Amino acid sequence: MGKRVAVCAVAQIKNDPNYWHLRFQNMLHECFESIMEQTKVTFDMEKGIRTVITCSDDVFDARTISNNGVTDVVGAQFRGEEKMAQESINGLGYAMASILSGHDDVVLFMGHCKESQGESKKMVTNLAYDPFYCRPLGLDFVSADALQARAYMRKSGVTDTHLAKVVVRSRKNARKNPYARECALVDEQDVMSSPMLADPMREMHYYPDTDWAFGMLLCCEERVKEFTKKPVWISGYGSCMDSYFLGDRDLTSNFSLKNAAKRAYEKAGIKDPRKEINLFELSDHAAYQLPMWAEGVGIADEGKGGAWIDEGGMEKYNVNLSGGQLNGNPLLLGGAARAIECVLQLRGEAGDRQVKGAKKALAQAAYGGAGQHQAVVILEA
Amino acid sequence: MAEYWGIKVEDIFNTMKERFRPEGAKDVSASFGYDIKGEGTWRLTVRNNTMNIEKTDDLAGCAAIMVADGETFVGVNTGKVDGAGAFTSGKVKVEGSLSDFGKTAKMFRKFSPPKKEYTDKDYIQDMFGTIVSRFQPQNCEGLDASIGYDLRGEAGGQWTAVIKDGTCALKNTIEGKPTVRLEVAASDWVRVMMGKIDAMSLLAEGKAAIVGDTSLALKLGQIFAKYTPTWAAPEQELIMLKRTISVNQKFSTGPVMGKFLNSLKEKKIYTNKCPKCGRVHLPAREVCAECRVPATEWITVGPKGQVRYMEYVYYASPDPLTGETRETPYGMGNILLDGCTGNDTFAHLIRRDQIDRIKGGNNEVSGTRVRPVWNETLTGSIHDIKYFEIDE
Repeated sequence: MGKRVAVCAVAQIKNDPNYWHLRFQNMLHECFESIMEQTKVTFDMEKGIRTVITCSDDVFDARTISNNGVTDVVGAQFRGEEKMAQESINGLGYAMASILSGHDDVVLFMGHCKESQGESKKMVTNLAYDPFYCRPLGLDFVSADALQARAYMRKSGVTDTHLAKVVVRSRKNARKNPYARECALVDEQDVMSSPMLADPMREMHYYPDTDWAFGMLLCCEERVKEFTKKPVWISGYGSCMDSYFLGDRDLTSNFSLKNAAKRAYEKAGIKDPRKEINLFELSDHAAYQLPMWAEGVGIADEGKGGAWIDEGGMEKYNVNLSGGQLNGNPLLLGGAARAIECVLQLRGEAGDRQVKGAKKALAQAAYGGAGQHQAVVILEA
Repeated sequence: MAEYWGIKVEDIFNTMKERFRPEGAKDVSASFGYDIKGEGTWRLTVRNNTMNIEKTDDLAGCAAIMVADGETFVGVNTGKVDGAGAFTSGKVKVEGSLSDFGKTAKMFRKFSPPKKEYTDKDYIQDMFGTIVSRFQPQNCEGLDASIGYDLRGEAGGQWTAVIKDGTCALKNTIEGKPTVRLEVAASDWVRVMMGKIDAMSLLAEGKAAIVGDTSLALKLGQIFAKYTPTWAAPEQELIMLKRTISVNQKFSTGPVMGKFLNSLKEKKIYTNKCPKCGRVHLPAREVCAECRVPATEWITVGPKGQVRYMEYVYYASPDPLTGETRETPYGMGNILLDGCTGNDTFAHLIRRDQIDRIKGGNNEVSGTRVRPVWNETLTGSIHDIKYFEIDE
């Protein structure tokens, strides 16, 4: 392990179905002011922030180079401002690399997504696919996920009842998270009678449209005391991109997640995640993904996702105590949401959902249809 | 006459009639001159959706005259030379009204070079030049035969294709008695090979004869691959796919943008300024980007002001979804509204028929004074102001 990078502060607004009275600029600015307040960091070109990394999506913001709409509210005027157009967790990796390279001591990392702006989120994710072969078939993240869900559920003995348990638990956990989107509490029967989106995936199995913004301040080890008394360290980061065309992949193999996790564990010196990591935040934007990603990061046995739920695996390993992605975060920002939750836990600031004495946490991000792109971050108190 | 890329200056002018698009010449009634150095001068007259082009020294009364050398003129018309580049570098000049001359761009379809006329002799040479490569040995197992071609007429001649042991050799003569001998006019044979006439009908009319093994003659289509002239364009394999991407969206305006847009409904330009540096935002924005503080102070500016920057735009930028275009040229400008200083300018359109009279200013010299012309219906959008016009 070489030098370390610290998360000095995190800020977020509450996840909301539709911030109709705010522009995404307003949402971001709230987070920006909170980071400034918490850390007293400056924009001095020697000692302060020289580089700001933002994460946003061109299609949701209806402009190319969508960061042009936020440069001012994230304080990035007249300095480096670079955009992560992929899953937000890559922005964390980017910020980490800027600091480890020695180019920056302090990096501000901000992101927003206002999913309520698009009248059809499915049309937006349809645009992620090849325009000539796949888009005309209607392929989007929902239908791609359903292909994976069916195959995975068969392989791992996951049933409609298991998925209902995942949804019920997610919404119940979210009630203990003041930043979580407000979703109605439901019982298993409600979930199992929820309409089909793409069989076997029901409406309630899929995360709802959400508006959210966040901010993080990252810093090199030498200067961490200037900004916080409770740093959280990034000790491992791994990401992996699987094939773009679904037909090129074994959809049940968890190939890219296993690769990303392996790399992150190696960097963080983790031999047995089940024993060494105190809590897991997984990007389950669809219910079947919670057991599937649990297999991928190695806390459930391969092909045993259904039994793992029955045996109380979700509680045993402290998985998604925040409510998880399933309760509602913008898809683009799922990874940042997971990482921020881990930071709060490791700082002992997670309120009613606090894992006592949490020292190590895992945040996972999944983006693209059927979890094409995967990233894993290990955070330590 | 010099040729450039195989094309003469005259070719461009001589094809103007067939390339003319009356729909692109609507409401145009003018003459345009072309002064092509070393080649001559032409006069284009457009009236009542018709046109005339003549080579003449008389360019009197032309609304605009284009001056260029032959190479540049041909190059621009054939896409070999970038038009905008030629104009800015001075290789193309326009005397008179540039905006009038711009209208000619829409009047003509793109010039495409005329196709070379190929003679029967060209085709015959090409056919026998490619016959060996068109031979299909997989269809000729065990075939031992000779095919004599006795083609009559000016383009004609005699050839023999000798097929043996899965190979084909060509002789430029007919010796002795081939297995089959085809007798036909060279010009008719070209038509047969190009699929323009049926060989059977030639036989029926007595214009062709098959001497010897008729069944072999009927197998020619299997012995040789179909003939395509070597100069013919390859078949289109690269398909152009057109897609329009559109996702409906709705945007919250929030407390800042909302206030700005609402004030337009009341024919006011109401915006915010930085409490620290005093910069006025046009349009209103959440924070001062330079001072990183919320811009909390609201003031009314303008609505009159002076033009600071301006340009004429000659392309219509149609909206790909609605097809809606703008009339060209149109004026775009940045206006320093009364109550603003420095670079705090507001971008909007300038009344089309006034753009020639408008001057941009700077911090020392005032630009032309302008005022907004408001739309009849006010909806809280940037179009609530139609454009700015001279304040006189």
